[in-house]
Amino acid sequence: MAYKPQYGPGQSKVAENRRKFMNPDHKLEKLRDVTDEDLVLIMGHRAPGSRYPSAHPPLAEQQEPACPIRKLVTPTEGAKHGDRVRYIQFADSMYNAPCQPYLRSYLEAYRFRGIDPGTLSGRQIIECRERDLEKYAKDLINTELFDPALTGIRGATVHGHSLRLDENGMMFDMLQRCVLDKKAGVVKYVKNQIGEPLDREVKVGKPLDTKWLKEHTGMYHSLVGSAFRDDAEYVEYVQRIHSLRTKYGFMPVE
Amino acid sequence: MAKAKIERSQKLFLKAMKEKFAEDPSATSTVFARAGLEQSPRKMEFLKAGKQVELARGISQYDPKRCHLGGIPLGQRQLMTYEVSGTGVFVEGDDLHFVNNAAMQQMWDDIRRTIIVNMDLAHNTLQKRLGKEVTPETINEYLHILNHAMPGAAVVQEHMVETHPALVDDCYVKVFTGDSELADAIEPQFLINVDKLFPQKQAAALKAAVGKSLWQAVHIPTTVSRTCDGGTTSRWSAMQIGMSFIAAYRMCAGEAAVADLSFAAKHAGVIQMADILPARRARGPNEPGGIKFGHFADMVQADRKYPSDPAKAALEVVGAGTMLFDQIWLGSYMSGGVGFTQYATAAYTDNILDEYTYYGMDYIKDKFKVDWKNPNEKDKKKPSQDIVNELATEVTLYGMEQYEQFPTAMESHFGGSQRAGVLAAASGLTCSIATGNSNAGLNGWYLSMLMHKDGWSRLGFFGYDLQDQCGSANSLSIRSDEGCIGELRGPNYPNYAMNVGHQGEYAAIVGAAHYGRGDAWSLSPLIKITFADPSLKFDFSEPRREFAKGAIREFMPAGERSLIIPAR
Repeated sequence: MAYKPQYGPGQSKVAENRRKFMNPDHKLEKLRDVTDEDLVLIMGHRAPGSRYPSAHPPLAEQQEPACPIRKLVTPTEGAKHGDRVRYIQFADSMYNAPCQPYLRSYLEAYRFRGIDPGTLSGRQIIECRERDLEKYAKDLINTELFDPALTGIRGATVHGHSLRLDENGMMFDMLQRCVLDKKAGVVKYVKNQIGEPLDREVKVGKPLDTKWLKEHTGMYHSLVGSAFRDDAEYVEYVQRIHSLRTKYGFMPVE
Repeated sequence: MAKAKIERSQKLFLKAMKEKFAEDPSATSTVFARAGLEQSPRKMEFLKAGKQVELARGISQYDPKRCHLGGIPLGQRQLMTYEVSGTGVFVEGDDLHFVNNAAMQQMWDDIRRTIIVNMDLAHNTLQKRLGKEVTPETINEYLHILNHAMPGAAVVQEHMVETHPALVDDCYVKVFTGDSELADAIEPQFLINVDKLFPQKQAAALKAAVGKSLWQAVHIPTTVSRTCDGGTTSRWSAMQIGMSFIAAYRMCAGEAAVADLSFAAKHAGVIQMADILPARRARGPNEPGGIKFGHFADMVQADRKYPSDPAKAALEVVGAGTMLFDQIWLGSYMSGGVGFTQYATAAYTDNILDEYTYYGMDYIKDKFKVDWKNPNEKDKKKPSQDIVNELATEVTLYGMEQYEQFPTAMESHFGGSQRAGVLAAASGLTCSIATGNSNAGLNGWYLSMLMHKDGWSRLGFFGYDLQDQCGSANSLSIRSDEGCIGELRGPNYPNYAMNVGHQGEYAAIVGAAHYGRGDAWSLSPLIKITFADPSLKFDFSEPRREFAKGAIREFMPAGERSLIIPAR
């Protein structure tokens, strides 16, 4: 029988959102159009329009050893060209930011190739070849996975995911990399992800409203969203996994 | 929404939240004033001191306005104070770094400089091999001599250098025994009186366990163990014990029987506070990585002082353990830097863990009729998977909901590892106290971690999560290299050896299993009695209060050096 991923348990809206984000057959809703050039500015790895610095010659020009794995795995565009490995890192507010760290890693593993995700409590990093990164970053920023006010693009000094929101509904950022333009109602980046001032502002759109966020978030929260306790199937699933691992290690049988 | 199964109207952390933050603790937004360092008196003191250091030595030092993030100093959010849990004392975070806190240093000093040495072996040698008479009178005389010699004074030789008594005033030796008659004959100044220090039932159990043996609780000078290391303790102690036997029993300094006394004092009759570590960790005995969790639970004495409150007793172990294992062992011995303090303090500040743990107590009383305020072995629940799952799930969900309902609590524990350690600790302590089984407690810890990770889709950091995602599988396995009873696990146990925010809590989970049963000790009656000694510089029955005293600079440590340095 062919393997059919289930993407996780739960009968709540949060569980449904998680499954949707992870499932590569679900087309993520596009909500904004941050341009390629703007993305490059925010990430700060190279100047827009400049060549991709390389870590090694293109694979086609290298003497590749005879290797069955190499024959099986088609290299990504970035790998083909010998791009450097670079990163984008996100901080997601616990007040209903659409995406959350483990969920990011899971969905990236399902949707992207050639990636190295790292999962922490206040941030999540994805590392990969530079031109692949720019492609993936567009999905991560332009779609329903991102909210301009509650999702931060932060390479360092990420503190803020668990703090109360500021008076404008923005997640705390010590470096104030992005600010709310109150007049236009849009969030604009004035510093790149590691906090270096940008030559020009980069607009990433209007913050999503609280109702939308509550409907689209991948995190349980009993005050501003749905309580984890209320998703009985999910809670029971976690207990079951724990019980099986306790009894049988990592080869559960019943 | 579904609600917690037990109502607790008085949240223990709310007082701290109201003191720390101007806003309603349940508000989800605030104004970040970005007031910088100026909002913290301690940081301002640091600035001034740093400037003086720079002027005095001509080398730059503390300069956050230039060096922190290229000119953006700490304090863009509110620099919070912290209430040391269970004390009502508010302190600055900086004051809970062990470098800034003399009580924290002394707690570790008092463990590292302690060794327990059996006297029966030596007495047998004296009596059977040499035909000497050993009586309470000779033992008292020996103890007089030993308390002269142990700090570093000569007893046999001529023309010896000695240590200044005022520099080693924390060094002494007492004895204890389960033999009431012998105990009565020991001079009170030298006796750890089990009957006086422990509740009646525990005292009887301890005395029965020790029997007629006589043990020396030796505390070498703090200065010595600091200058050398934990491995020094038994050597320093053994040398002075040997010389004192020679002096007290008029032995020949070179006779072969002395070797027996030395062997007993250095090896055969010695209880180290911590085991030697493998070469890759490269530490001798009496260093933090080798302390078994059961032994650490015995060092902390809150169960002796508060026998009717196993939750408090366990919370004191959490405080002491996170300080020692996170801040000192992992944070400095193994890693370096200052970051570990932030992780560790979450477990013993602002009464947040306390609140979640007492919720667990209310729950086990209400649902399972465990009379936790009357610790006993009779009402403990069988440690089944179902019980563990129910308790750990309920306590974890309750804790998560408190963080959610009171955003200032979430902001206080702003890092995932802090929250994970606290939620899992409350779960583990509850399972331990309900079942009296430390491995059930550890199993509850790991379910809490999985529950937390799935609820919030985040947990700690890369490495932090590793052991927690393996833990379900090893918490009830006793196969070698895969598992062990909690009491015999320690900071160097596989998977435990690397990550902050676990080890102190594990020690508390182990202790809680015994405190909940009303046991007199967790792993070693000898260690339990040794650290009951009120003459120790650090009061092991109140670690959190001692840390608070250290933070507000009211704790007087040992290791004084002002006698031998220029006056300031």
